[in-house]
Amino acid sequence: MSAIQTIGLTKRYGATLAVDRLDLAVPAGELFCFLGPNGAGKTTTIKMLVGLARPTEGVASIGGFDVQRQPLEAKRLLGYIPDMPHLYDKLTGREMLRLVAGLYRMPAAAAAELIPQQLELFEIAHVADRPIEGYSHGMRQKLSFAACFLHQPSVVVIDEPWVGLDPQSIRRIRDDLRRRAREGLTVLLSTHSLALAEQLADRVGILHRGRMLAVGTLDEIRGHAGGGASLEDVFLVLTSSEDDPAAPPLTRENP
Amino acid sequence: MTAPSPLAALLRAQVVMGRRWVASMRSESRLKVVFVAASAAVVWAGVFLFAYGLLELLERFGRDLLGNVGTVSAVRLTDLVLQRLLSAFALTVLVLLLLSNALAAFAALYRSREVAFLLQTPIPISTLFLSRFVEVVTFSSWALGFLGAPALLAYGMQRGVPWGFYLALPVFFVPFVVIPAAGGSIAAMALVRLLGGIRRGPLLLGALTLGGLLLALFRARLALPDLSQAETLRTILDVLGRTRTPWLPSSWLADGLFAAAGGRLGEAIFYLLLLVANAALLAWLATATAEALFFRGWSARTDPSGLGRAARAAGVGGGRSALETMLGPLPEPARSLVIKDLRLFWRDPAQWSQFVIFFGLMALYVANMRHRGSELAEGWRSWITILNTSATMLILATLTTRFVFPLVSLEGRRFWILGLAPLTRRFLVAQKFWLAVAATSTLTIGLALLSGLRLRLAPGELAFSLFAIVATTVALCGLSVGLGALYPNLVEESPSRIVSGLGGTLNFILSFLLVAAIAAAQAFMAQWRRLHPDDGPMVMLGAAGFILALTALATWLPLRAGVRNLESLEL
Repeated sequence: MSAIQTIGLTKRYGATLAVDRLDLAVPAGELFCFLGPNGAGKTTTIKMLVGLARPTEGVASIGGFDVQRQPLEAKRLLGYIPDMPHLYDKLTGREMLRLVAGLYRMPAAAAAELIPQQLELFEIAHVADRPIEGYSHGMRQKLSFAACFLHQPSVVVIDEPWVGLDPQSIRRIRDDLRRRAREGLTVLLSTHSLALAEQLADRVGILHRGRMLAVGTLDEIRGHAGGGASLEDVFLVLTSSEDDPAAPPLTRENP
Repeated sequence: MTAPSPLAALLRAQVVMGRRWVASMRSESRLKVVFVAASAAVVWAGVFLFAYGLLELLERFGRDLLGNVGTVSAVRLTDLVLQRLLSAFALTVLVLLLLSNALAAFAALYRSREVAFLLQTPIPISTLFLSRFVEVVTFSSWALGFLGAPALLAYGMQRGVPWGFYLALPVFFVPFVVIPAAGGSIAAMALVRLLGGIRRGPLLLGALTLGGLLLALFRARLALPDLSQAETLRTILDVLGRTRTPWLPSSWLADGLFAAAGGRLGEAIFYLLLLVANAALLAWLATATAEALFFRGWSARTDPSGLGRAARAAGVGGGRSALETMLGPLPEPARSLVIKDLRLFWRDPAQWSQFVIFFGLMALYVANMRHRGSELAEGWRSWITILNTSATMLILATLTTRFVFPLVSLEGRRFWILGLAPLTRRFLVAQKFWLAVAATSTLTIGLALLSGLRLRLAPGELAFSLFAIVATTVALCGLSVGLGALYPNLVEESPSRIVSGLGGTLNFILSFLLVAAIAAAQAFMAQWRRLHPDDGPMVMLGAAGFILALTALATWLPLRAGVRNLESLEL
């Protein structure tokens, strides 16, 4: 059974087709990277996966639970980090984590033990008792990570994870994600950063205009273009040939 | 060609946004728009008819009293009563506008996200302030214009005043509303700058003490002696006359409008110039205050160390708070949600300060209740009880519209946190409903009990009055939470603006109608019991059944609609 699965997932906003019959299966313990230009449908897909938007057609499931039909079961397994973390500004970081612990019905003892750990792990313990309204974007992002991992989800969805983070934090969180994935965590990560995908992903999916253009390991994706092509080359050629059907074939761009 | 001034550019942008807001009505449900517009028209016409009727009554009263002296004296007496009533009304409006402008200025200057953007542009602080000031004046004063216009038009038509009076109305209105707006803005900027680091408990205690002293002063100055005295009219005129003083803009407005109504052009222009000169001076002072204090206050509020001080002032700490301990028995996740809602409320000055004002008004009402229960005839006591319950319920309707209706909307862009958690939207709505019921019923039951005891009601009447209050509290909370979930505004951060939308207006109208229906049931019961004393228990049961059914409907229908809407809401 896949930890994340979509079957014919479709989303229409009026006449606009944002996501077009997306089929995807991410097995447990995999770090899957969604790539795509702006407006490709990545965030819409993610919102349908985490239950914040309803599909027009198709099914999204987390850990075997249909997100629409069994939302509570699916959400218990799930953690999500949005690209713009809007948080309760008048709460402190620690109070925010206590709220999250309460929402996920964590036992008080477990919350008391895990909250300081998460604050330390994501290096925000020194601001934990200050209101969030005074946090920088990076601190908010770190608090979102801490809140996401607090209830120990088995599937994590991250939309543009590095926004506002400094290089040291990026390195630390990247290593942490890898470690957690080895321990069985499934991660679906959406990004514009091809370098990040190359460093981190077990498999990559390239989404454009709501359709999945290519899915596979980095080698498989590169194989589309023949030997020696970088992920960036593949990405640019795939997405531009979609924009312009008359564009030269991939191999010609990368002799 | 010269470039437009930054202020003109900012004001133009505000006008464009205002137009967009009006245009956005097209996307609202047509039924909702028509209902709200029709209700607004009914309210406007109601104010006009009420004022016209009151003027006729006053004139008849004057004629009856001075019939043997002559019509001219009767008209003069009516004018004297009206002038003093207008003075008292204008003074009340002035005080309320001062408070609401201080809150609106705080929101517009310190909470608006646009300010951070404007501060990094090359415009002077005075320009920034003036652009926000225009918004504050408009936002705080439109209701006065809307409700004051029909009353003054009724006056003009009933008295057959010269046409210059109608022209004078908007001309007097503008400087009159600028004065409290400037005063409120100065107060808001000074308070933020000077009191930012003081702990909230002592600050609130100080404000309440000051409010109590002012109340005592007003009561002492405006106390109405026993009306059974022979010189009732002279007493009332004397007490109303105490609200007039040559130092207050409210008196300038009243005297200026009366001069315009009487065709005394020179006197009217004098008062108009007095208002304009003071408005200009205060606006200049407010701009100077902004240049001196605004940025320092704003940066102290937004820099992390300043936020740390503000947080300590608000009682933010690292340990388990008294609130968490107190709510310990509540099961999760309701407990965490309630703690979050209460904390967000307490840490937002725009929320708790308005709540204190509302609560103060209710307390003022009860404090002014006279304990003459034993002196009143049975019928009168019943009517006073009904009026008393209705007044409390009306204030409660305003309170639920202002504080309960925006509860769902205030989740705003953070709704994803709740949307992601393993809880149903039905649970969220239920949590907000029960929180609202618990918080408001504590207030209303206490006030109803206190006022009932002060009026020395019979146990049966007191019990029924309490029952009606509890039922109305539940119904008003159901209505407000339900409509708040049915018409959420997850983009707007300011609760006052959320309430002033179509959904909030609809909520207030329906709340008002609900209170009117429950008051009508009580009145029907009281009158029937008076006419048919033997039917008492049956009629009381019937009225109770009607109120219960109405409560059930007003609670269940909006909550169900709200839950359905939230369930289909995409974030």
